[in-house]
Amino acid sequence: MANFTVKEKEAHSSKINTRNVVLYVILTLWAIVNLFPVYWMFTFSLKTNEEIFGKNLIGLPWDWKWSNYASAWHTGNMPRYFINSVIVSVSAIVLVIFASMMATYAITRLKWKFSAQMNAFFMLGLTIPIHASIVPVFITLRNMGILNSHFSLIFPYAAFSLSMGILICTGFMVEIPKDLDEAAYIDGCGPFRTFGVVIVPLMKPALATISIYTFLQCWNELMFANVFISDSKFKTLPVGIQALSGQYTTEWGPIGAALVIATFPMLIVYVFMSGKIQESFVAGAVKG
Amino acid sequence: MKKKDIVNYLAVFLFLLPALALFIGILIAPIIKSAYYSLFDWNGMGEMTFLGLANYKELFTSKAIGFMKALFNACILATLSVFIQLPVSLALALALGRGIKGEKPFLSIYFMPVLISTVVIGQLWLKIYNPDYGLLNSALTKMGLENLCHIWLGDKKTALISVFVPTLWQYVGYHMLLMYAGVKGVSPDIREAARIDGATEGQVNRYIVIPVIKPILKVSVIFAVTGSLKSFDLIYVLTNGGPLHATEVPSTRMIEMLFQRNRYGMGSTIAVMMIILCFAFALLISKAFKEAD
Amino acid sequence: MKRKLLSLVMAGAMALSLAACNGGGTTTPADPATSPEGPAPSAVTEDEVKDAEITLDMWCIATESDSNRHSYEAAIADMAEKYPNITLNWEAFENESYKTKIKAAVSANEMPDIFFTWSCAFLQDFVDAGKVYCLDAAYEEFKDELPESMLGNSTYGGKHYGVPLTMNIVGLFANMDLLKSVGYDEIPGTYDEFIECCDALKAAGIIPFGCAGKETWCVTEYLESVIEKSVGYETLNDIFLGRATWDNADVASAVDTFQSLVKNGYFDPNGIALGNDEVKANFMDGKYAFYMNGTWNCADFANNSEFFPKVKVAEFPVINSDKATLGQLIGGPSDTLAVAASSENADIAAKYCFELGKLICHYGYLDGCGLPAWTPYGDTSAVNALTQDVAVICGNATGYVLFGDTAMSADDANTYLSYVDLVYGCEVDGQGFIEGLANDIR
Repeated sequence: MANFTVKEKEAHSSKINTRNVVLYVILTLWAIVNLFPVYWMFTFSLKTNEEIFGKNLIGLPWDWKWSNYASAWHTGNMPRYFINSVIVSVSAIVLVIFASMMATYAITRLKWKFSAQMNAFFMLGLTIPIHASIVPVFITLRNMGILNSHFSLIFPYAAFSLSMGILICTGFMVEIPKDLDEAAYIDGCGPFRTFGVVIVPLMKPALATISIYTFLQCWNELMFANVFISDSKFKTLPVGIQALSGQYTTEWGPIGAALVIATFPMLIVYVFMSGKIQESFVAGAVKG
Repeated sequence: MKKKDIVNYLAVFLFLLPALALFIGILIAPIIKSAYYSLFDWNGMGEMTFLGLANYKELFTSKAIGFMKALFNACILATLSVFIQLPVSLALALALGRGIKGEKPFLSIYFMPVLISTVVIGQLWLKIYNPDYGLLNSALTKMGLENLCHIWLGDKKTALISVFVPTLWQYVGYHMLLMYAGVKGVSPDIREAARIDGATEGQVNRYIVIPVIKPILKVSVIFAVTGSLKSFDLIYVLTNGGPLHATEVPSTRMIEMLFQRNRYGMGSTIAVMMIILCFAFALLISKAFKEAD
Repeated sequence: MKRKLLSLVMAGAMALSLAACNGGGTTTPADPATSPEGPAPSAVTEDEVKDAEITLDMWCIATESDSNRHSYEAAIADMAEKYPNITLNWEAFENESYKTKIKAAVSANEMPDIFFTWSCAFLQDFVDAGKVYCLDAAYEEFKDELPESMLGNSTYGGKHYGVPLTMNIVGLFANMDLLKSVGYDEIPGTYDEFIECCDALKAAGIIPFGCAGKETWCVTEYLESVIEKSVGYETLNDIFLGRATWDNADVASAVDTFQSLVKNGYFDPNGIALGNDEVKANFMDGKYAFYMNGTWNCADFANNSEFFPKVKVAEFPVINSDKATLGQLIGGPSDTLAVAASSENADIAAKYCFELGKLICHYGYLDGCGLPAWTPYGDTSAVNALTQDVAVICGNATGYVLFGDTAMSADDANTYLSYVDLVYGCEVDGQGFIEGLANDIR
C-alpha cells in the first residue's frame, strides 16, 4: 500500500502537490487555533492576577509561578477529588458500555414488535437538558438512599450518556452481518451466548468512542456534582476547582493550575486513545 | 414456535433491563414529575397552587420572560451550526479520513477544544473579546481597522454572534470525530478502485464516501440542532444572557426561573417545552433524511 | 484615640433600627399560620450542651479561597475546644452554586443542621415553607451581645430565624492618587463638588467610575445610592419591602440623575462587558478614580500593600437635601446562619449556632471582612484602617436600606435587576423604570 502511494504521487502532476500544500497549510492553521487554548491554559496557570487581567495576556509568564500548582493541589483535597472524578467517570463509562450494548442488541438483533419504538424512546434522552429536573432527580436519589456517595453521580451520569451510547452502538452493530447470529443459532447458541461470544468481541471499535463521549459528559459536570454531594470525601474535581474562587475575590492563577491538573492527564489519555480509535476504525473497515 | 417467542421476549426484557431501569428511573420519571410541576405556581419549597396550563400560556405571551426571543436565538445558532459548523467538520473528517500524512496528530489536536473544560474556553474568549486589552481589538487596531473595534460582548448588536462563534468552534471537533469514524468505515479497496478508474478526490467523496456516512450525518445534524436548543455552558460564562437579554437562549431562561427567581413551576414549563421542541426537530430531521433517500 | 473610640462607635451604630424584612412578601407580622408547626422550642442550658454527645452538620460558603475562611476556622477551633463532645462536620461551597444547592436541599428536606443563608427574602422562602427552626428561645441568652435591631433582616412574623454574622454597606472607594492629580485632596463631600470632580477627572482623561455591567448587582451599588440620597432612606425602604409602590416621581427623577451620570460618560463604557473581578482589577490598577462597591472589599484592598495607601472610602454625597441626609446608607447584615427545623438536635444546634456566629463575627471583623453585627469585644486595634473608616461612617448612620436584590423576593429582585440593566443601557428612562416595575412586580 505504501508502495502504491509513492507510485501514485510520482504519476500525478504537480497540481496535486500545490493542492496538498494548500491543504496542509489549512490543516496546520486550524491545528494552531485548536492548540492555542492548551498553550494558553498552561501559561495562564503560571501567572498572577495582574498578568491575567490584561498586563500579559498571551505571552509566557514573567515569573513562572509554580506556587500556583502548590496552592491548587493543597486547597481542599484535590488529590481526593481527582480520584473521585476518576472513579465516577470510569464507573459511568463501564455502566454505559454494558447497558447500551445490551439494549442495542435487544433493539437491533432480536425480533420483537416494538423495537423501533423502543429505540425512539431511548433517543428521547438526547433531548433532555441535564439541568431541567434536578430537584426530582435529587429526591429520587435520596429515596434510593445513595446521596453523598459515588453512586449518586454514577447513575445520573450513566443515565444521561445512555442515549448517546445506544446511538453509537447501533451504528456499529448494524454493520455486523446477520449471518453470524444465524450461524450461532444453528450451532445451538441462545441469545445470551450469541451476544457474549459473537457480538461483544466485534464491538470493540465502539468502546473507545462510547468512552470518550461518556467521559465528556461526566468529567466537567458541575451542577449534579454540586447538589448531590455534600461530603468532601466524595466531591469531584469541578466542585473542588470551583471552591478556589472566593465570594468577592478570586485568584485566577491557582484556578488555572487546577484546571491544568484536571485537563492534562485527560488530554494525554485521549491522545493515546485516539490512536486506538483510528486502529479500531481501520480494523473494522477491513473486516466489513 | 410459541415457546421460542416466549423465550425471545424474556431475552428482550433481560437485555433491556439495565438500560431501562437507569433511563426511566433517572431521566423519564423525573421529567414526568417536572411536567407535573409545570402545571403549578411553586417556589420549589412551599405550597403549590394549581394553575392548569397558565404557565404555558404565560411562557408564550409574556414579554418579560422572553421565551420566543430566546427560542429565536437558539434557532439562529442551530442554523449556523448546520450550515457552517457541520460543513467544516465534514471537510476536516474527509481530509483526514482519506489517510494523509499526520492524520493522527491532526485528529487528536482537533478534538482538544471539546476536552477542555468550558471554564477555560470561556475565560479564553473573555480575554479575546475584552474591550480594553482583548486580542481581537488589539489585532484590529494593529491592522489599522480601529473603526471595527467593538465592545463585543457588551453591545447588543455584536453580542449574539460573539457568543456563537466560540460555541460553534468548540464543537467542530466533536462532529468531526463522529464523521471521521464513518469515513474510516469506507473500505480502502473501494477507494482505490475508484481512483484507478480515474475518479478525483472530490468525486470519491461525493459519490462514495458521503452516501456511506449518511446515517452519521443525520446523527450529526440532530445533535447540532438539539445541542443548539439546549446550549448553555459557554453562553452562561460569556454573557449569561446579557447585555439586555440579547443573548438569551431557552436554557438561560430556564436556569433563571428555576434557581434565581424561585419559579420552579415556570422553570419546569420551559424544560418541558425544550424537550418537546428537541424531539419534534429530531423527528423532522430523521424524516427529511428518509425522504432524501 | 480613634481606635479606642471604635468600639463605642460601633455600639452606637448597632443600636440603630434596621429595616425589618417582614414588611414585604407573604409573611405578615404576628401571623401564626405561617410559622412552622410543632411545639414551641425552649432553650437548652449550657450543661445540656456540654453533655450531649452529638454530631452537627454545617454548610457555608467560606471556601478555602474566601476571605471569611480564616474567621470560620478560628471560630470552629474555639468551639471545638469549648465543646469537645460536639463534632461539627462543616463543608464549604462556592457562592453561586451554593444558592442552587441549598434551595434543592430545602426542597428535598435534606438540609444540614446549621446552614449559611442570606437574610431577608432568601431566607424568607425557607421560613415560609416551615423548614427553619425558630431561634427565639435560644436568643434570650445572647440579648446583651447581639442587639435585636441586628435581627431585623431575619425576623419573620415577629420571630427570629437567623444569627447574623457580619454586615456590609456600599462604600464610595476612591483612588486618591488620581483625585490629587486633578487637585482634590479629599473625596468631595457635596454632590456639586463631586460632579465637578468627575468633570475634572474626565477632562484629564481619567475615567471616574468603574462598574461591572455584566453583573447587575454592581450597577445597583451605584443606582441605589443615588436613589437613596435623592428620595431618602424611608421611601426607598418602603418600596423595596413592598410597603409602597414603585410609581414614585421622585424615584423616576433620581433614576434620571443616575442616567445622566452614564450619559455624561462618567462610567467606563467598556464596563458593560466586564465582570466585577475585572473591574476591581482595573480599579486597583489605577484605571478608575471611583469604585462604588461593598465594604467587604476593604480586606482585599488592605492586602495589596502597593494599592492600599492610595485608597480612601467615603459615603455617597447627598443629592437632594430636602429628602435625604448624610448617614443614610445602603447595606446591613445579610450573611446569616440558620438552623434547620428538621435537625434532630435543633435546640442544641440553635445555641451552638449563636455562639459560633458570635465568634465568626469577631474574627471576621478582626480580618477586615466587614463590620460586626454583634457588639465587638476584645482588642480591635489591629483592624485595617479602611474598615475602621467604614466603622466611623456606620457610627454616624441614621438609617439603612438593605441591598435591593436581597430585600426583594427572588422573582421581584430579578425583575428589578433586569430593569436596572435597561436603565444602565439607557434603554428606558426614569419614567419607564418606575412604570415598568410598578406593572411587572407580581
